[in-house]
Amino acid sequence: MHEVFKSFLDLKLTMYATKYHKANSLEQAFELYKSSQDASFLSGGHTLLPVMKQGLSAPSDLIDLSFIDELKGIEVTPQTVVISSMTRHMEVASNKDVILAVPCLAALAGSIGDRQVRFKGTIGGSLANNDPAADYPAGFLGLGGHVETNLRSIAAEEFFVSMFQTALKPGEIIKRVHFSIAKSAGYAKFRAAAARYSMVGVFVARTELGTRVAVTGAGQSGVYREKSLEAALDQKFDATSLESIQISPQDLIEDMHASSVYRANLIKVLAKHAVLNMGGIVNLK
Amino acid sequence: MTSISLNVNGKSHDLEIEDNTLLVTALREHLGLTGTHVGCDTSQCGCCVVRLNGESVKSCTTLAIQAQGCTVLTVEGLSVNGELHPLQKAFKDNHALQCGFCTPGMLMSALDLIDSHVQVLTPELVRHQMEGNLCRCTGYHNIVKAIVQASKCMKSSSLS
Amino acid sequence: MIRDDGLVFDQRFSLKDFVFNSIGQSFQRNEDERLITGKGRFTDDFSLPEQTWAWMVRSTHPHARIKSIDTSAAVQMPGVLAVFTGKDCLNDQLNPIEHNPVPSTRYDVKLRGPNDSDIFLGYHHLLPFDKVRHVGQALAMVVARTRNEAFSAAQMVIVQYEELPKVMNSELAIKSDAPIVWDELPSNVLVDATFGDIQATEKAFEAAEHIVRFKSHVSRVTGVTMEPRACLGHYDPKTDRYTLFAGSGGAVRQKSELAKVLGVEADRLRVISHDVGGNFGTRNRAYVEFGLVLWASKKLGFPVKHRADRTESFLSDYQGRDLVTEVQLALNAKGKFLALKVDNLSNVGYCCVSLSPLSKGSGLVTGSYDIASATLRSRAVFTNTMATQAYRSSGRPEVTFAIERVIDRAARALGMDRLELRRLNLVKTHQMPYTNAIGSSYDSGEYEENMNRILELSDWSNLDQRRQEAHARGKLLGVGFANYVESSIGSPKERAEIIVHPTQIEVIIGTQPAGQGHETSFAQVAADLLGVEFNRVFITLGDTDIVTAGGGTHSGRSLRHASAVIALAVEDLRELGVRHAAHFFNCKPEDVLYENGHFKSFTSVKSVSWFDLSIQLANGEGPQSSLKELRVLRDNEMHTPVYPNGACVCEIEIDPETGGVDIKRYSALDDVGRCINPLIVHGQTHGGIAQGVGQALWEECYLDQTSGQPIACSLMDYGMPRFDNLPSFKTEIVEVLSPTNPFGIKAGGEGGTTPALAVVMSAVEDALWPLCGPVNFDLPATPQKIWNALQRGKTH
Repeated sequence: MHEVFKSFLDLKLTMYATKYHKANSLEQAFELYKSSQDASFLSGGHTLLPVMKQGLSAPSDLIDLSFIDELKGIEVTPQTVVISSMTRHMEVASNKDVILAVPCLAALAGSIGDRQVRFKGTIGGSLANNDPAADYPAGFLGLGGHVETNLRSIAAEEFFVSMFQTALKPGEIIKRVHFSIAKSAGYAKFRAAAARYSMVGVFVARTELGTRVAVTGAGQSGVYREKSLEAALDQKFDATSLESIQISPQDLIEDMHASSVYRANLIKVLAKHAVLNMGGIVNLK
Repeated sequence: MTSISLNVNGKSHDLEIEDNTLLVTALREHLGLTGTHVGCDTSQCGCCVVRLNGESVKSCTTLAIQAQGCTVLTVEGLSVNGELHPLQKAFKDNHALQCGFCTPGMLMSALDLIDSHVQVLTPELVRHQMEGNLCRCTGYHNIVKAIVQASKCMKSSSLS
Repeated sequence: MIRDDGLVFDQRFSLKDFVFNSIGQSFQRNEDERLITGKGRFTDDFSLPEQTWAWMVRSTHPHARIKSIDTSAAVQMPGVLAVFTGKDCLNDQLNPIEHNPVPSTRYDVKLRGPNDSDIFLGYHHLLPFDKVRHVGQALAMVVARTRNEAFSAAQMVIVQYEELPKVMNSELAIKSDAPIVWDELPSNVLVDATFGDIQATEKAFEAAEHIVRFKSHVSRVTGVTMEPRACLGHYDPKTDRYTLFAGSGGAVRQKSELAKVLGVEADRLRVISHDVGGNFGTRNRAYVEFGLVLWASKKLGFPVKHRADRTESFLSDYQGRDLVTEVQLALNAKGKFLALKVDNLSNVGYCCVSLSPLSKGSGLVTGSYDIASATLRSRAVFTNTMATQAYRSSGRPEVTFAIERVIDRAARALGMDRLELRRLNLVKTHQMPYTNAIGSSYDSGEYEENMNRILELSDWSNLDQRRQEAHARGKLLGVGFANYVESSIGSPKERAEIIVHPTQIEVIIGTQPAGQGHETSFAQVAADLLGVEFNRVFITLGDTDIVTAGGGTHSGRSLRHASAVIALAVEDLRELGVRHAAHFFNCKPEDVLYENGHFKSFTSVKSVSWFDLSIQLANGEGPQSSLKELRVLRDNEMHTPVYPNGACVCEIEIDPETGGVDIKRYSALDDVGRCINPLIVHGQTHGGIAQGVGQALWEECYLDQTSGQPIACSLMDYGMPRFDNLPSFKTEIVEVLSPTNPFGIKAGGEGGTTPALAVVMSAVEDALWPLCGPVNFDLPATPQKIWNALQRGKTH
């Protein structure tokens, strides 16, 4: 009826040009990195690619780590859950051994993003990016442990430097994340309506060395441990011991979605929910 | 330019693409499969969802080159020999689409959801797991009904 | 609940003649097949050989003089064909887009400028040559071989701005010392009109026992159609014609407007809108890119395509609402509403594209209630923001919000039950047709019945129990109630063409659906009128070479206008059919009997169908050999508005620790007049509810007031209704037939949204009142705001 032509030319969206490399081994990945002008590592791509699409990042080379066998797999020992960096959130969430050892960690992974994000996003990508509202940093700092890279080991306490910054050196690749298994752990989050990142997320772990409370979404420097709540829970591990604690809004994020005072409130509320629901996740509406 | 091969809806294709070509672009513009849509620029709307090696992914957040050697299923590949897939039929039965722009992504997400659960889906589970797909027309009410109905139909037929 | 009084619209036309086989049925939609198989044809799905791409350079300032635009670096970039600015548009004598924003149907409230002057609209040039007036305003266009190349070159365009004082907020913009957006006006106020009986209202207020006030700023939102806007322009020198592929709310209107922009006769332009991925009002008016790609395609000799990113859509789609409303209700001691004073201030943005939100709302300020006198001041103001225009139920959710909220407050003030207060003052069924204090004549409705039924539907009587149960779980239960009446006027003219093909009947119509199912519901109407099966009718729309006239789709006008003009066209077709049947039977036309799609002669047992006649004609066997097909064209004009109405109840739980809102139940009752396809109408209600709830809880075009920068420019910051934040709905349709059109149709597309803002906020206030009294924040009711209110409540 209508003369409509459906021929297509080579049309692109607005990402700058880049060169893609599939790395088959860790060594090859590192070599590629050193020989590139300005490379980025690609894992799930659900942080890097959106940022590249916005034109905010323009690496000359992309080195895809997701095919490297030694970066895959989950291993659970009596003391640790060891997740290799290219393990996707979906895989952690459904891993029977993780569910048994630290159910809250599996649930945390299952709460990241949406279903499609969970098919692609990796723990290595999440930790290396250190988004100030990401869930994994709270889980990792909450449980404690260390990151094993191609160069060294970095303890959880040293790993997170500030918002979007970690202790990783250029070209340093996370191989495995070692989580210390706690006696019990719980995670509670309250998501921002639009971005659906955690406006605040609080991870509580009871360990041999005491309580650890890691907070994401709130700190101006990214994930951090809230010492006042840890001390209170060390005194008595129940929700009532949190009541008298005042969280200062001072170093907390203030933006169009939430004030620092409101975030301070959420930290307490979510800590309480985590404590009341150890062994699981609470996703507050 | 890089050469890639991929299987889309059962057919093999060889394409010449740039490394920064998105999978959705390759599907829409190189292969003429315009059923998959682009609805946002922050990977949040789900209009671009396809099935890549059996998994549900956002094709706007995947490079075409990452699909090298992979099997892709798009909405155009759902019906077989002109027969509507039970999911497509359920969408039609339940008026689960209005303008239809989000529909291809909805179908592909829902397909993955049904296939990855042994049991029939509940409305609660559907609402939780479909949060990555946005619709502006339907208010979701009928889409939930359609997916639940399709899961019943697909589970019962797989049992028989 | 159908009452059929045998409506007679026209001497020759009576519904009693027709058998309804299709009308009223929940048929599955004709349009679905292509949409569920990936064969939809949205604008970006079209491409033309050798097409080029446009990228718009957009202003980063809310208000600035353009000192210079340096395109020298940009034009050198690879793949670039040209870089155009406002000066180029001027040199080629392109005209600004004439949106004709003042609603001018017979029954629209007559807006006027200050001191009864003509309304100054500003100028909507394709590209400005002197100033930019909002962040995101396009001020240059790069055209290149690929989209990426156009983007890269656009980054090289250097604009020198001289920043000017800016004003973003409407209440600041009306002040005498506000920065002026258009130098042609002494102030930013373009509309200032007062309606109603001022004296009578004043008298009533003086005598009133109670005066209750309510003020709110109904927020600005944006359509977020899932399909971002796109357009493809092409000029063919051989035919000297332009073609535009663009999703729209009415191809005919856009054709006429764009032809004027280009300075050509309307028949030189063809506009094609096939599948449109959502409209809700945002696509009702032409965008500058439409004119630009057409113009550029002629200048460059190649088709030019533009596709907006979602961010670009957030910045530069026509936005919705943004009304400051102040209402005062005067009551006597018993709670009878005596009079109403309303002051509405609409923020139209940087130029006036539509005044429909202000005018449509104006006629309905008294809502569903019998209020003897009212005065309304309607003002519109320019600001340095994107232009606003009609958005889902344009203007009616805002005024419904105002009247329903002030009534809630009045109930509290008088210590009366809010339902009783409403019942006492509802327009009664026996008062219909009812003319309100602003002059709007409500055609029909049973408002009391609506209230009774919605209370059943929402299980209102067991609320206390649910409230206690929620309380035991630490949650604050709140329930909101709202009545609504809304209006559907819309462009008065519509055209239908009917062509009888050998096996199918084609109906060509000038509406433009974006999901409303016209290809189905119109076919249902036509099928019954023609006495054929539903699957024998198909609907053609969206291509102005085929659709020569029509009013587009907005304001719930489509089914009402389409059904009326189709009915008239069928009348004409029947007469034509009778003449041909007479020839076939070799008898006189008076001896031909038509019944239910078949023509019989008194003298013969034979009967012929429409299709038989069509085949006969195609074979050249008709009375005139030149007439090869059964075909008619009919225009109609209907001015009388209709007033869909209803009620809804929303039940929420608030978590006092976070301020988070969980919607537990949402029940809606809608009187749509005759319902052609219940499946489709329920779907419209669902979607309408979602958009209203979205604005009530999450959506806002958030502007930083200091810098004037829009902050919510992506889905990362603009919250949307999603699968997991909405409940399933309980919706019910009521059919009180309207006496204004042959089928008794009102409208079903916007009633879901109209009361939604009010009912959600009413629920929030109901939940919070015991702890912190009246809600003192505006939409959206975010967790942060609710929590803040609860904290304030603790300290008092």
